[in-house]
Amino acid sequence: MPKRPEFRPFVSRGRRAIAAILVTFAVFSALTLTLSIWTTKGSQHRATVIEVAARQRTLAERYVKEVLLARTGAQVDPNNTASILARSADALLVGGTAPSVYGDDDETKLTAASGGIVRDQLKQERRLVADLTATGSALLANRSVIGVPLTAHEHLSITNPVGRLRVLAALTSNVSLNAARTIASADDQNVTHLIVVQAVLGALGLFTSLLLGWALIVATRRQTAHFRSLVTSSTDLVLVLGADGCRYVSQSVSTMVGPAEAEMLGYGFEAFVHSDDRSALRTASTHGGPREIVFRMRNQSGEWRQLEAHVTDLREDKSVHGVVLNARDVTERIELEEQLTHQAFHDNLTGLANRALFRDRLDQALARAERSDRLLAVLLIDLDGFKQVNDSLGHDAGDHLLQEVARRFSSIVRSSDTVARFGGDEFALLLEDVTEHEAVGLTQRLLDRLAAPVTIAGRPVALGASVGVVLHSGSGHSEELVRDADVAMYAAKDAGRGRYEIFCPEMAKDLGELLGIEHELRLGLQNGEFSLHYQPEIDLETATIVGAEALLRWHSPTRGLVPPARFIPIAETTGLIQPLGEFVLRQACAQAADWRRGGLVPESFVTWVNVSAKQLGGSGLHTIVQRTLEETGLPPSALGLEVTETSVVEQGVAGDRARAELKLLHEQGVRIAIDDFGTGFSSLGQLRHFPIDMIKVDSSFVQGAMHDPKDAAITANLVNLAHALGLVAIAEGIESPGQLTSLQSFGCDLGQGYLFARPMPAEQLTDLLAKGAPHLAPDEAVA
Amino acid sequence: MRQLSSWLGRLSVVVLTVLVASACSASGRVAGAGQTLVQVSERDFHIAVTPNHVPAGDVLVVVRNHGPDTHELIMVGSRSRLPLRLDGLTVNEGALSAVTVASLDGAGPGRVRQVRVHLAPGRYELFCNMAGHFMAGMHAELVVG
Repeated sequence: MPKRPEFRPFVSRGRRAIAAILVTFAVFSALTLTLSIWTTKGSQHRATVIEVAARQRTLAERYVKEVLLARTGAQVDPNNTASILARSADALLVGGTAPSVYGDDDETKLTAASGGIVRDQLKQERRLVADLTATGSALLANRSVIGVPLTAHEHLSITNPVGRLRVLAALTSNVSLNAARTIASADDQNVTHLIVVQAVLGALGLFTSLLLGWALIVATRRQTAHFRSLVTSSTDLVLVLGADGCRYVSQSVSTMVGPAEAEMLGYGFEAFVHSDDRSALRTASTHGGPREIVFRMRNQSGEWRQLEAHVTDLREDKSVHGVVLNARDVTERIELEEQLTHQAFHDNLTGLANRALFRDRLDQALARAERSDRLLAVLLIDLDGFKQVNDSLGHDAGDHLLQEVARRFSSIVRSSDTVARFGGDEFALLLEDVTEHEAVGLTQRLLDRLAAPVTIAGRPVALGASVGVVLHSGSGHSEELVRDADVAMYAAKDAGRGRYEIFCPEMAKDLGELLGIEHELRLGLQNGEFSLHYQPEIDLETATIVGAEALLRWHSPTRGLVPPARFIPIAETTGLIQPLGEFVLRQACAQAADWRRGGLVPESFVTWVNVSAKQLGGSGLHTIVQRTLEETGLPPSALGLEVTETSVVEQGVAGDRARAELKLLHEQGVRIAIDDFGTGFSSLGQLRHFPIDMIKVDSSFVQGAMHDPKDAAITANLVNLAHALGLVAIAEGIESPGQLTSLQSFGCDLGQGYLFARPMPAEQLTDLLAKGAPHLAPDEAVA
Repeated sequence: MRQLSSWLGRLSVVVLTVLVASACSASGRVAGAGQTLVQVSERDFHIAVTPNHVPAGDVLVVVRNHGPDTHELIMVGSRSRLPLRLDGLTVNEGALSAVTVASLDGAGPGRVRQVRVHLAPGRYELFCNMAGHFMAGMHAELVVG
């Protein structure tokens, strides 16, 4: 796999190239210098050799003279000269010390001669010296010279002894001179070679350095181009501010805020900067800080854009001489932050303060009240009848109503007071520096203003409210105040709604009741105080048990059997409905799986579990169901979920989520039933779009079917509707044989009620099923 | 490496063959275009002339010094005796200038030089006139005609 070239902008290629150039110079210089030294040393040595070689010539001539003089009786020592001649010839050839010549020069150390020609000449010289000195010795000893053996291939025709001696001296002298010349010319050649080699080395070094220098320039250019393109193509705005204003601005300025680069230079940029922010920029350019600044610049359409800049002080940097600002447009981010901050402290729907902001203001007010000893009032307002409006006219109508209420409250209070919405139909007011009289007066005005009808969805709607009022002075905790107001509000509700109550400590007992149930519910879940009862569902045609509805029971050790109507709403408001719902699902599935394994129920038997709107609206019900089914081994088709009509038709996010969950569950194979059908306000046509298998006709219609023709007609229509939509109809709350007969005449498929069986513990139903009596005749059940 | 040296070996054999062949043809009597070739071999202290008898006419004289010393070559129309200078060691070239047909300065060992001469019939003396070399035996005769 080819290696991708890495982008490494900060690797100092330049530094490497410079180092390489220096190394090249150093290496080539060292080479040249070494060569020069070596050659110079060689030359010095050769000069010595040449000197000795040349000296031989003189010595040969001197030897002849000395021999001739010696023959005349003069005081000379030709033998010494002969010895010097011989030793020098030897030293020249094989190396060693050439002896000194008295009055002429010193001893000279020589190395062995190198080079074929020189060596041949020096060998010849040595032979000639030998022949010369042998002839000289014979002459001195008055021996015959002719008989002296010659070793250097001389063919001397001359017989005169002195003549022979002179010829030999001339030959010796000649060959010595030529050997010296050969050495000298070799030296010249060496010097020429050296010059050539040095020239080549120099040229190579220069070429390499030029090459590296070129590489350095290319690398530097590329890097510069790279950085330039990084800076210019960056969406960030880069500004360099110096003592003379803006010294550089990146191209992005025109796309980011509008002005051309030229307009920004010098102090031109200040024209585009918000007047409040100019000093911050000046400070940054003169002090090189702070590290981060935010300033505004006007764009072409005149909007102020918020720029957040990172400030880098490069005034000491010789290549910049300024303060560098890397700025980004953060307008959207800042707006979002402001929006989020507003959302965090305000109610989206009404724009009023939310609980968090109210709590904050209350804390501050309490601190002020503590110092001033003035009275403050907290009002907690719960709208009466709001739920009915919501249910009957829809959530949009409810939202409009809440907005209108918010407007009315805001119009009554002073600007220093705080109006907040806590959620749902619960509002709160904080009145500072009031008397009890003023607080009561304002509360009354609130109720009066609410009473004026509001036209919502074309209908006049009149609202009432229950108001809890707390009057407080001195220190205190905001939480306690709100809780006390809450207690007073419940007291007002209990006292008949549409009124206010001022908190007094006796009211706290009721609060204890409310809080107590929540606490006990939690404990109850942990301690296994909950259990399921099952009510059989009967096929009205065959009188067979075809299913069972699981119903939750709470046996509180302190309260006894608590009806679901009492604890389910609390579980829903406190969020306990989730673990409670999972408990029901798990128990029911495990039980149904047991029945199936025991062969007590047919394949088509369905166990039904009630699911609250809160469970459905919270995400992930289908995953919980799926997990539970897998863990208990129950097939999805053996489980049914009963949901209320309102939770399915609800508008908005929660409704969408509920419908999506139901769709997923239905796709898994789980059966879906609409509970209490007929009591909601949904358009019946909507039912077509919902993934449902069964509708449960509310017991109020069933029970009236025998006597009230309207109820009978409704029931018959509901059954027909179910069939028209291809759904199963089941009647709830069948208590009498007459009701059964009516339902059968309407063609209702299934039934459920005391007529057949009351809800019973699992073991009891197990026994019933085990009796092998799938038929549950009304009479038997009653018996 | 081994391949390279064997290749070099073969190359040197080829080169030697060519050299030997050309040397053989060069030693022939005729060097081409009616020119006679005379090879003169000098060494300490002897001169050999091959062949030592050639026809008159143009002659190419090729002189090779085998050393070890440096040698000259002077070619003069022969006399019975060459005159010496007063030092008694060298031939008096000045006295022979009228009969000198070729004169090559001293050249180091290994050097090969050539000279073209037109030779009339007669005897010619070839010698080296460096100090003492003539006296030590460096002279030879060439007969022309």
